[in-house]
Amino acid sequence: MAIRVNPGFIDVLDKFGRENIQLCYQCGDCSAVCPHADEFYKFPRKPIRQLQMGLEKKIETTLEPWLCYYCGDCSDLCPRNADPGATMMILRRYLSSVYDWTGLSRKFYTSYKWELGAITIIGLMITLLFSVFNPNGIVTSLTPEGGVKVNEMFPVETVNTGAHIMLITIAGFLISNIIRMWYFTILKDKTLKISFSSYVIQFRQLIIHFATQVRFSKCKDKKYWGFHWILMSGYTLMFILIVGNLKWFQTDKIYLWYHPQRLLGYYSTFGLLLGLVYFFYGRIKKADQIFKLSHLSDWIFIVLLLFTTVSGILLHIFRIEGMPVATYYTYIIHMAVLVPMLCVEVPFSKWSHLAYRPFAIYFSELKKSALSIRNREKLFLKHN
Amino acid sequence: MAEKLKSPKIGVYICWCGTNIARIVDVEAVTQYASGLPNVVLVKTYKYMCSNPGQDMIVQDIKNHKLDRVVVAACSPIMHERTFRNALRSAGLNQYLLEMANIREQCSWVHTDRAEATEKAKALVHAAIRRVELHEPLESMSVKMTPDVLIIGGGIAGMTATLEIADAGYPVHLVEKNSKLGGNLLRIDLTAPYLYSARDLLTERVTRIRDNKLIHVCLESKVTDLSGYIGNFSASISRLNGKEAPNDKPLKVDIGNIIVCTGFKEFDASRIVHYGYGKLPNVITSFELEKMIRSGNIETKEGKAPKYVAIIHCVGSRSREFHSYCSRVCCMTALKYAHEIKSAHPACYVSDIYIDMNAFGKGNEEFYRRSSEAKTLFLMYEKNDKPVIRKASPKDDCGMLLEVNEKLSGEQIEIPADLVVLMVGMEACEDAHEIARLVNISQDKDGWFIESHPKLEPVATTTEGIFIAGTCVAPKDIPDSVAQARAAAARILARIARGKIEVDALFSEVKEDLCSGCRLCNQLCPYSAIEFNEEEKHSNIISALCKGCGVCVAACPSSAIKGRHFTDQQILAQIEGLFAEIL
Ligand SMILES: Cc1cc2nc3c(=O)[nH]c(=O)nc-3n(C[C@H](O)[C@H](O)[C@H](O)COP(=O)(O)OP(=O)(O)OC[C@H]3O[C@@H](n4cnc5c(N)ncnc54)[C@H](O)[C@@H]3O)c2cc1C
Ligand code: SF4
Ligand code: SF4
Ligand code: SF4
Ligand code: SF4
Repeated sequence: MAIRVNPGFIDVLDKFGRENIQLCYQCGDCSAVCPHADEFYKFPRKPIRQLQMGLEKKIETTLEPWLCYYCGDCSDLCPRNADPGATMMILRRYLSSVYDWTGLSRKFYTSYKWELGAITIIGLMITLLFSVFNPNGIVTSLTPEGGVKVNEMFPVETVNTGAHIMLITIAGFLISNIIRMWYFTILKDKTLKISFSSYVIQFRQLIIHFATQVRFSKCKDKKYWGFHWILMSGYTLMFILIVGNLKWFQTDKIYLWYHPQRLLGYYSTFGLLLGLVYFFYGRIKKADQIFKLSHLSDWIFIVLLLFTTVSGILLHIFRIEGMPVATYYTYIIHMAVLVPMLCVEVPFSKWSHLAYRPFAIYFSELKKSALSIRNREKLFLKHN
Repeated sequence: MAEKLKSPKIGVYICWCGTNIARIVDVEAVTQYASGLPNVVLVKTYKYMCSNPGQDMIVQDIKNHKLDRVVVAACSPIMHERTFRNALRSAGLNQYLLEMANIREQCSWVHTDRAEATEKAKALVHAAIRRVELHEPLESMSVKMTPDVLIIGGGIAGMTATLEIADAGYPVHLVEKNSKLGGNLLRIDLTAPYLYSARDLLTERVTRIRDNKLIHVCLESKVTDLSGYIGNFSASISRLNGKEAPNDKPLKVDIGNIIVCTGFKEFDASRIVHYGYGKLPNVITSFELEKMIRSGNIETKEGKAPKYVAIIHCVGSRSREFHSYCSRVCCMTALKYAHEIKSAHPACYVSDIYIDMNAFGKGNEEFYRRSSEAKTLFLMYEKNDKPVIRKASPKDDCGMLLEVNEKLSGEQIEIPADLVVLMVGMEACEDAHEIARLVNISQDKDGWFIESHPKLEPVATTTEGIFIAGTCVAPKDIPDSVAQARAAAARILARIARGKIEVDALFSEVKEDLCSGCRLCNQLCPYSAIEFNEEEKHSNIISALCKGCGVCVAACPSSAIKGRHFTDQQILAQIEGLFAEIL
């Protein structure tokens, strides 16, 4: 059956930050240099072709853009300067918007008004919640160690409940979108037969890649993987501490510096800071291929992260040093940046890749094993 | 026949060619042998006879020993005959009093037995000695060069050549069969890749031609007869009266050279039945689109602006059934259309369906790049798997659907189209064979005129004085057509500047008293060098055209034709010399 070409598809991609896709003349150099492409996943060349041709339905089923870590080697090599690496990035944005049933992802990626608007509104709501509806106000008395009584100012139970509600909501969106991803990339392809045992066996891929992103280390320049891993481990750790274990993390008692609460906090702060400095520097200097093109969503994310990290550090200092007023306002600012960042970025924008990529790797391994069985069967039939 | 010289004084030079000859041939033995032969005054060997000292040795010997014949036993005459002829000339001897014995290619290189090779070398040297005794001093001839030039075809190539020659101050007759100058460019709007207007390119030329007193333009005319030879042609130009028939009395002109610039015609798209050209109203050819662009209205037959346009490349070109060659301009023209359609209808989607994108030539790759950036959808089809066009159903938002087996993605796809443009290729004109016969040049299997050497003589033909330029030689774009036209003009101007032309001394002659007037030779001469003198009833060879091939010499039943430098006596003497030791 012939697939209908949608010549207008390219215009849709313009909104996701399309770069010189049409320049590609399919030489395949990019796929040859990419350490992640193989005989099953011939990217970036193949998805670029599907994109050029406006094969919308084919693009929806492809997992390949998620296998790319945007090291930029392919873009360096491309004889037509078609920037295949950037195209993979753009496709990831587009695919996120395909998986997201709410339509918010598409809005956030294609309109900065929507993205900034959403962040501002959530930020204002949080400010309102913490300042107006806060029963206790500024508590000036200090703890015996001389620290600020944060948990009295902002009742940890309530905040924790809020955090859990947020966690469940974000997870709800993400999980439903991942189910849609599974539908588009695996279920829709009727020719693929994947056994239950395969799902179980390959599940380790998901865990390994979520925790280590070890594939990134296959890229020529290993430092990207290093920085990315430190940033992402810091981020994830902080996420777990704040959103999942606030009661353990937010205490009035000031522990000694080697207490796990403080050590873990310091590690993730260090990770965040190091990653931030590196990525800020890169994006401003446009030093390497991967930093050459910064979409607005990239900037919004790192700016928010910077604000969150800096306000978090200040909060910690003010609390320990016993400065109630400063602590009070910093806490509100911290929340007013952190919450919108998590609510917007994690399920709908830049940071959704934290979930999509490991799942895509998991799905791609499932597909690969199904395909290789099929190929082997074909070969077998041919020889008999 | 020239008298055998009383006692010719022959010098024989035997070359070692380093070890090339000396390794297999015992050059000393050959020297010994040759010295014993009659009329041989001296025999010398040398390591490299063609070197400067080798040549000097020959020159000095000719002067000191009063030699009047020279034999050089060395390599092939193709390699060094010219060298040794020059040596003879500089010693004051006629250059044709030389004979070479090829003891390298015909002896040392092809034999392994030293004794036998040496015997063969002796025989070859003997043959050369016997032949050279009968050599005659020959002089080359010169004929007059009429400066007037005839140019057939008034396209961009013909007009350019015309101006080039007239600007140098020589008269030109420009014959064009249509009522206007300009050729196919008259039907084109902008030109790829720089998007110059074709009209502007032409207007400047046409005005200059009109204003130049040296140019005689014959519109609606054809050359109907041509006789003569280089420097001295006579042509008849007849006016066409609407219906391609000679009307009043033809005009006779004398010219020295001719440039044929008769151009191309487009492939008839209806020959590819399944594209439905002529049946589907919105399937059009490139020239029809040019017309729309020139009128400022790119629209479907229903008068609507097209939302989707599909361009199909290589229509009639690069295919087994029609023409195997590439028409060379249509790829870039297609890009130009994509550009023009987009400027007229910015919301229109253009798909460009090609076999290969031929973007060679200055500025073309960049043009391709710009077109890619303009979101043209490029799709590749397999040469033997052409796109299929069918009508769309009413629920589709387009008039037609093209089914293509897209090669780069391996997908079977369907493309919407409201207008399909067929990039028709170029073909030789239908009357190209008439011209070929008229000016005595050849055509290849596709009907294009053949150049005398595809690399080194791209505008000359095998007939002296006849040049070809532009798209009548093969498909090409404007810059290449113009370059060829200027090249042909430059070749002619160089000859006119010399005033006359030198003719090589090696031509054949008819001994009129022996010629029976059978005219057998007239048809056989591959260079049309033989004419028949009706009054005196004998054949006559135009020495300026004769290449000395010898076909007529062999064919003449009355032995009336003598090939200069290849007389029967010379050849028989050579054979005798060859077998002297055996017989
Ligand atoms: C659709 C299309 C678009 C093109 N676009 C471009 C472009 O954008 N850029 C570019 O560089 N090139 C383009 N070309 C190529 C360009 O048209 C040719 O390179 C150019 O026209 C060749 O000029 P010419 O003088 O050799 O031949 P022609 O233009 O064919 O002129 C030949 C002339 O000889 C006359 N003639 C023929 N036979 C006789 C005879 N027996 N007696 C007297 N006169 C005779 C004809 O009437 C004609 O006037 C295009 C070609 C096509 C088909
Ligand atoms: S993106 Fe560049 S390297 Fe990759 S196939 Fe296209 S032209 Fe070649
Ligand atoms: S950017 Fe790197 S990882 Fe991504 S496709 Fe190119 S080479 Fe592969
Ligand atoms: S120039 Fe292009 S369209 Fe024309 S025949 Fe050659 S390949 Fe085909
Ligand atoms: S020698 Fe050859 S070229 Fe000359 S007239 Fe005879 S056939 Fe023609």
